[in-house]
Amino acid sequence: MKMIIKKLIAYALAVSVLGVAESVRTHAQQSELRQGTETETLIRNATLLTISRGTLPNSDILIRRGKIAAIGPNLKAASNARVVDASGKYVMPGIIDCHSHSMMDAINELTLSVTSMARIQDVLNPTDVDLYRALAGGVTTLNLLHGSGNAIGGQNTVVKIKYGRPVTEFIFPGAPPGIKFALGENPKRTNFLQLPGRERRYPATRMGVAEVIRDAFVRARDYKTAHDEYRAAAAARSEKTLLPPRRDLQLEPLVEVLEGKRFVHAHCYRADEIVMLLNLADEFGFKIRTLQHVLEGYKVAREIAQHGAGASIFADNWAYKVEAYDAIPYAAQIMTRAGVNVSINSDSDERARRLNIDAAKMMKYGDLTEEEALKLITLNPAQQLGIETSVGSIDVGKDADLAIWTTHPFSVYSRVETTFVDGEIFFDRQQDIARRAEIQLERAQLEQAEPNRAPAPGPTPASTPRPRANSY
Amino acid sequence: MVCAQQSAIDTYAITNARIVTVSGPIIERGTVVVRNGLVNAVGANIGAPQDARIIDGNGLTVYPGLIDANTTFGIPIPTASTSTPRAGTITAGLAAPPAAVSSQNSSQPPGLQPEILAADILRSFGDSLETARAAGIAAALTAPREGIFIGQSALINLAGDTPQQMIVRSPVALHVGFTPLGSGAYPASLMGVIASIRQMLLDAGRYREVNAIYARSPRGLRRPEQDKSLAALLPVLAREMPVVMYADREREILRALDLAQEFNLRLIIAGGAEAWKLADRLRALKVPVLLSLNFPRRTTPQSPEAAPDPLRILRERIDAPKTAGRLAIAGVRFAFQSGQMTNMTDFLTNATKTVENNLQRDEALRALTIYPAEIFGVADRLGTIEPGKIANLTITRGDLFDRNRRIAYVFIDGRPVDLKPATTAPPGTTGPVASGTWTLRVNTGDSREASVTLTLQQEGERLSGSLQGDLGSASIANASIGQTGDVRFTAPVNVGGLTTEAAFSGTITGNEMRGTVQIVGRAPGSFTGTRAGGSAPTSARPPQDASSVRQ
Repeated sequence: MKMIIKKLIAYALAVSVLGVAESVRTHAQQSELRQGTETETLIRNATLLTISRGTLPNSDILIRRGKIAAIGPNLKAASNARVVDASGKYVMPGIIDCHSHSMMDAINELTLSVTSMARIQDVLNPTDVDLYRALAGGVTTLNLLHGSGNAIGGQNTVVKIKYGRPVTEFIFPGAPPGIKFALGENPKRTNFLQLPGRERRYPATRMGVAEVIRDAFVRARDYKTAHDEYRAAAAARSEKTLLPPRRDLQLEPLVEVLEGKRFVHAHCYRADEIVMLLNLADEFGFKIRTLQHVLEGYKVAREIAQHGAGASIFADNWAYKVEAYDAIPYAAQIMTRAGVNVSINSDSDERARRLNIDAAKMMKYGDLTEEEALKLITLNPAQQLGIETSVGSIDVGKDADLAIWTTHPFSVYSRVETTFVDGEIFFDRQQDIARRAEIQLERAQLEQAEPNRAPAPGPTPASTPRPRANSY
Repeated sequence: MVCAQQSAIDTYAITNARIVTVSGPIIERGTVVVRNGLVNAVGANIGAPQDARIIDGNGLTVYPGLIDANTTFGIPIPTASTSTPRAGTITAGLAAPPAAVSSQNSSQPPGLQPEILAADILRSFGDSLETARAAGIAAALTAPREGIFIGQSALINLAGDTPQQMIVRSPVALHVGFTPLGSGAYPASLMGVIASIRQMLLDAGRYREVNAIYARSPRGLRRPEQDKSLAALLPVLAREMPVVMYADREREILRALDLAQEFNLRLIIAGGAEAWKLADRLRALKVPVLLSLNFPRRTTPQSPEAAPDPLRILRERIDAPKTAGRLAIAGVRFAFQSGQMTNMTDFLTNATKTVENNLQRDEALRALTIYPAEIFGVADRLGTIEPGKIANLTITRGDLFDRNRRIAYVFIDGRPVDLKPATTAPPGTTGPVASGTWTLRVNTGDSREASVTLTLQQEGERLSGSLQGDLGSASIANASIGQTGDVRFTAPVNVGGLTTEAAFSGTITGNEMRGTVQIVGRAPGSFTGTRAGGSAPTSARPPQDASSVRQ
């Protein structure tokens, strides 16, 4: 019933929008290429993996103003609508990667053990080609996390992959802010390398990591008290002789954590540490939003569920360091059955392109249903990031972040034909193929130009590895 | 040292010269009188004073002394090595502490000390000053070399017996860079850099507030700690002093704009390679750009193992000379800077390229003279040739934006300075000019003839160019030209399907060139050639004003 009402409202909206569209047709046409949201798009006759309501065969999706306006068979669209025939193809929501380091000009601020003043949003690089490759793998949303070199790392940013647009358009509207924590080997070993004139950074043990976090929150609590008292005193007293306390950009985000306004995404491996962090959070009265990697989370699945933390894991990536030896591919299934919200992430520009296959593996290991496996890379990470009202499933009113796949995305033969973000096409396989000749031609012309010509032969150039800090 | 400085003569008259005053119309034939370090008179009907040393300006053009809008001229290089650590590992950024300039009793580590003044560490001698003068530059904004809060710049004349004599205005602006500290201490990443700038600006705001409260009623209040680092930021927060932020890429400029907006700073962008992509916002916010003329070009040789340059990089190299013209059309104020280029002769060569890429000639000249003077608050003293202004003059043979122009004289504070002989043409001679497109017949040493097109560019004694035709196509190397017109260069050539090295050696006489060629593994050969068009080519674009090249 609710659905029908929603549809009626959608149609009513459509009619009013069409009326406006008629009068401003030329303007709409002018900006059509740039502003795809102005045009309606009808994806016709696809198999829809809705996530929220199962699989709908032979169905259409109507996209209007960047949102999903209607779902169902034989939908009607405006005469100027872009119609995409998806007969025999599958449509699923854009994949959400809950742990990414793409498009970041910096990953770790390794110097201190608490670097909560660092902000990923300050260092975004919207020209990173990995974004385009992620789109080609059906990914539309990334949780960009600070690296794991510090017990308390920097502030994260959630983005939509609007590749080619100004960086401001990437920021996911209304996504709650978060922060990265890290436990175990990374924060304690980061400064094992002894350099002359440099002291080893504290902490060097897992005990120390716990102490650093506890100390930071004690300081944050005192900081909040000092500012609250100052505000109260300043309001009560009229004289202006009260010295304001210093604003501390390191502690302010931690106060937000204490107030429940900022999500904690904690990198962790071992069961004992996971429990330590959950207890520490309980002690200070805040929640851990997600445990990242959490390879031994299956051992303490009930404790995680009880705290209400989500788990964002690898499908089958392990044994790359000592604390990663106890991982098993059944972790997603075990934690899901224990009532934990589980997602699968990439933590890698390369794996980000095939998260569909990583989700598929979770049907092979354990007994997750197709829908449960699909949720691992769609609705579940959306919930973990607090953006599930906008993305994560094919539902009327949600953002039109969608990917059209040639066959079921759990098939190794499946590939993405078209990826939509907010109703606009940001990847299209046919367009990509068509542009290749043009790009080759441009390259050939550019290489002829004087500044691009090679100087006289000399020694072989040094290899240029991509500077990426360790981010596990 | 600058010998002319010891001379007692302080009055000069440059007569019969073409004078581009920038402030008024071009004087096609006139005199500039310089006395006591200042411009005394300028005009078409000015007589030379009795006591003046007269310089015959016939065939010369007089411009206001050129200003390089962002440099480290006269600033010593830190002594300790600051080797770059291997990127991509956890050791990144953990190099030995550099010997950055440090201020005494500062609350901040080196690199975060905005109180450092270029004027305090400036030296009045050094290669950087000499090569800049030889390139026609008379004045420059100079700032310390390293750091996040790099320090405060000074506008200096590039000659003087003491640093104090050189300073025209100090401090001019606070300079901010986004390169992490190399010491291994916080901040060691771009995120940390931005966070620490933000924290220090916040702290400075509180420092101002707390000190104001304490000044009102010290009794009963614990006195605030004195902090000269934070105090140095107060003029910046009050918008009395502009902030020069180093930013080239679009996203770097955006970060600078956002930061400046957050703290209501008076921003100047230095670098600005991609500033044209944000032209609308820069114009709306009235943010000037100190545009670098250090254009990128490919430096890696051809190699089958190397990955091809990304399309973005290829485009950037082509776009670099177009930025100035685009900014001018968009109405963004800019001045040219040398951008740490290694070869200062590129300064005017690349300024000329901006003129060849859609920048009006007079706009280019303004970006080298009056615009930087205005941006740095010295337009009442520098930037034009007007009576009463500092007598900085750049005097050329040929138009400033002609590829064949030579710097004839540079006057700084009313005196001609020594120019390096290598780049100075003796007045009255133009010397052999090799630039142009040559058609060569090459006997490769086995009685076979090859037809080759040789393109040459001459800058002083340096030659660059390329070979194309029967011997394949390649850039020439090891190329030079002597005073008597003897030319030498080497190039990889393709003979009989094999690529080997060939050494050319010859002589240019007018529009003819002849000489010998030695191809590795072959008998000595010879070549003869003529220059296409019969004369050295001038720039493809016709001159914007009447300033065609006078030879």
